Amino acid sequence: MKGGKKTAIIISILIVVGGVGYLVFGNFGKNLIYFVTPSEVVTFAPDHYGKKVRVAGLVVKNSLKVVPNTLQLTFDLTDGAEKIPVAFEGVPPDLFKEGQGAVVEGFWDADRTFHSQMIMAKHSEDYMPVEMKKAGGALPKKDFFKTLKVD
Amino acid sequence: MIIELGHFAVITALILAAVGIASPIVGLKRREAVWVEVGRQAVTLNFVLISIGMLAMEYSYLTQDYSVKYVYATSNSKLPIFYKVAGLWGGHEGSLLLWSWILSFFCMLAARIHWKTQPAVMPYLIAMQSTVMSGFLLLILFLSNPFERIFPIPLDGRDLNPLLQDPAMVMHPPFLYLGYVGLSIPFSFAMAALFSGRLGEEWIKATQRWTLMAWLCLTIGILMGGYWAYYELGWGGYWGWDPVENAAFMPWLVATAFLHSVMVQETRKMFKVWNLFLIILAFSLSLIGTFLVRSGILSSVHSFAADPGRGVFILGFLSFMLLLSFGTLIFRSAKLKSQIEMDSVISREAIFLFNNLFFLVAMVTVFIGTLYPLLTEALQFKKVSVGPPYYNTVFMPVALGLVFLMGIGPYIPWRKASIQSLKGLFLIPGLIALGGLAFFLIAGIRHSYALAGLTVVCFVAAVIFLDFAKLSVFWAKREQVSSLQGFLTAYKKNPRRLAGILTHIGVLVMIVGIIFSTIYQTEKVLIMKPGEETGLGAYRIKLIRLYGAEGVNWEGQEALFNVYKGETLLTQLRPQKRFYTVSQTPTTETAIHQIYTGHIFLTIPEVAPDGSWARVRALHNPLVLWVWYGGGIMGIGVILNILRGSRMKLSALHPEPALSEAPVSLPRPAREEVLHRSNRWQAFLNAVWPGRKEV
Repeated sequence: MKGGKKTAIIISILIVVGGVGYLVFGNFGKNLIYFVTPSEVVTFAPDHYGKKVRVAGLVVKNSLKVVPNTLQLTFDLTDGAEKIPVAFEGVPPDLFKEGQGAVVEGFWDADRTFHSQMIMAKHSEDYMPVEMKKAGGALPKKDFFKTLKVD
Repeated sequence: MIIELGHFAVITALILAAVGIASPIVGLKRREAVWVEVGRQAVTLNFVLISIGMLAMEYSYLTQDYSVKYVYATSNSKLPIFYKVAGLWGGHEGSLLLWSWILSFFCMLAARIHWKTQPAVMPYLIAMQSTVMSGFLLLILFLSNPFERIFPIPLDGRDLNPLLQDPAMVMHPPFLYLGYVGLSIPFSFAMAALFSGRLGEEWIKATQRWTLMAWLCLTIGILMGGYWAYYELGWGGYWGWDPVENAAFMPWLVATAFLHSVMVQETRKMFKVWNLFLIILAFSLSLIGTFLVRSGILSSVHSFAADPGRGVFILGFLSFMLLLSFGTLIFRSAKLKSQIEMDSVISREAIFLFNNLFFLVAMVTVFIGTLYPLLTEALQFKKVSVGPPYYNTVFMPVALGLVFLMGIGPYIPWRKASIQSLKGLFLIPGLIALGGLAFFLIAGIRHSYALAGLTVVCFVAAVIFLDFAKLSVFWAKREQVSSLQGFLTAYKKNPRRLAGILTHIGVLVMIVGIIFSTIYQTEKVLIMKPGEETGLGAYRIKLIRLYGAEGVNWEGQEALFNVYKGETLLTQLRPQKRFYTVSQTPTTETAIHQIYTGHIFLTIPEVAPDGSWARVRALHNPLVLWVWYGGGIMGIGVILNILRGSRMKLSALHPEPALSEAPVSLPRPAREEVLHRSNRWQAFLNAVWPGRKEV
């Protein structure tokens, strides 16, 4: 193989890898969505308003209100410490219910409301029957990596 | 009693798996065939024992023995019998048992098929397979035992997750596992080749059909999962870059790369280390997929309840397998320096190189996106998730590149192509593609990726069609038959090539389906009262009424919709909102009407308790069925490819002068290539089509 051809192959590979690398890293930061808790949301500074985040929490009982004849819902989401009002427009998933865990994606705004267009209800294969749910509630999901450490 | 028998059988299987690792190695060390034979019998017996375990579990399902904890968790007396049987792989423990059972079956099959033809590597293969087997059996017996009993005995089971009560879902996991586990055989062959030092092309020939079979099952599994998500989850989409979808997609990408690069080794004896690397990577990704799904560390539709012990075990097992396989590869690869080097950037070798590069880049992209959130969490940074836009922006250009390569790859000669020959091959398709681009612009398509994608599809389709036309006409003239028969003759002369091209046609069909159903989807979400109607693209839907409905194990509401085009009533659709009484779970049942190969897709995610209104989600997905039709064509292509293998075997038994059938008016392709059987078609095609003659 002549030197020139080898160079040509190497250069073409570099172009492909470089192009893809640019695509990956150029888009990575933009498309990361941070998970936060309601407690963190309420402390957001104004420069955080309007930035897309995901909030995980429990849907507060008796807080769910449907705005009649629209696709809007409002409810409160809590992590036990803080409670945030959520305004949602769209179709909530089947497993979305009061008193259950949910993840909402959207942004916190100057009106101190969380605006969301996507709800992910937490569901696992191993759901519990009603009696057990009443008794224990969902146990917090243990962080796998934390369990690797010795306490 | 029966369940204890099953449990005992699986415990014995673990002991035998240990024997399967040790005895072939001892046999090799002491040069005593009897030890190797013991290993071989252990493998067969293992299959029998794990089958007993499977049967014992199924027996408990069918006799509704809820004293078995796992049966209690995934079944119910009201469940239709079909889902009672399938309940076995409805959860974590049973899926692992199914996985091991498939593994033991494949291992036994491989030992039977290849025992005579590959005697030197079989001891290693058995030892390797038994290692994987032991890992899974340890996991089953110590950390996720499906044979465990509970006391007091519950009166009834907790029911199978309603989302899984669907035919596609019953078949989807077994097909995925057939794919995942199917890759273990080529992997073990590769490892055996490394251990035994027999690093020629034998292992590749022995494993090609295994890889094709595994690839086929993986493809079917992924497509079924997509179809299930499409109508059962009610999103109207079939791919969401969910971590668990990615877990199955990554080994698929690498297996596809492997299937292509293997051909380079077959024909040109290049890429030897690379091929070993790819197949080891593919199976490792299957194991990583298991790790991701089964350890419960990813939150997704598929995640199972978290059990840290399992996670640690799977991680440990995975690390052991990765170190063993890649370590061996590194130590042995010095032996494998390829003597042949690439001649030119414009050659089929180079196209294959870029094909592999693109597939690997695609895999790495998915890998980073899937594992980055885990990494940040492990390092105690913020919790993050990587959104679909990331995957889409990176994936589209890579996919376009791959489709383009798919169009030129099979037609560019090995070694070196001249500019002249390229012109002959691609000038007309290039012009057709430009014509297509103009047409799409006039037709009003403005989306840049849709335009680029459709233009590339046009180009590739034109290349393939022209090639088919030339082949058919050539054989029609030669044999004095019709063009169609000419085409069939061409197929008979070279089934493998045409089967490969058929798979490529399937990819084209699928891509057109993906482009239209995602970019040209019409979606409406609104509140409707009975009597109201709304437009949906060229169609109208009208809610007639809402009423109660019930099934064996669910109750709920149903809506009646009329679907119109203009003033004509096309059909009536009845989506449902169900509530499964045992598990207290609601589900949304989709109603679909097919228009050509697109869908009108309706769901009612919410109905007012008094039945006065419903939340309606209406979608028009043009050409969405092309996604699965394309998958079907790909599957047929691969099946033909697998079958031609057996035909070649027959022709080897009754040798016929195959090469001399090709026209002899031109010089035979020179050098060592003549010796290689798979090059017959190259010689033949050089004859048919001077455009591709090597210069």
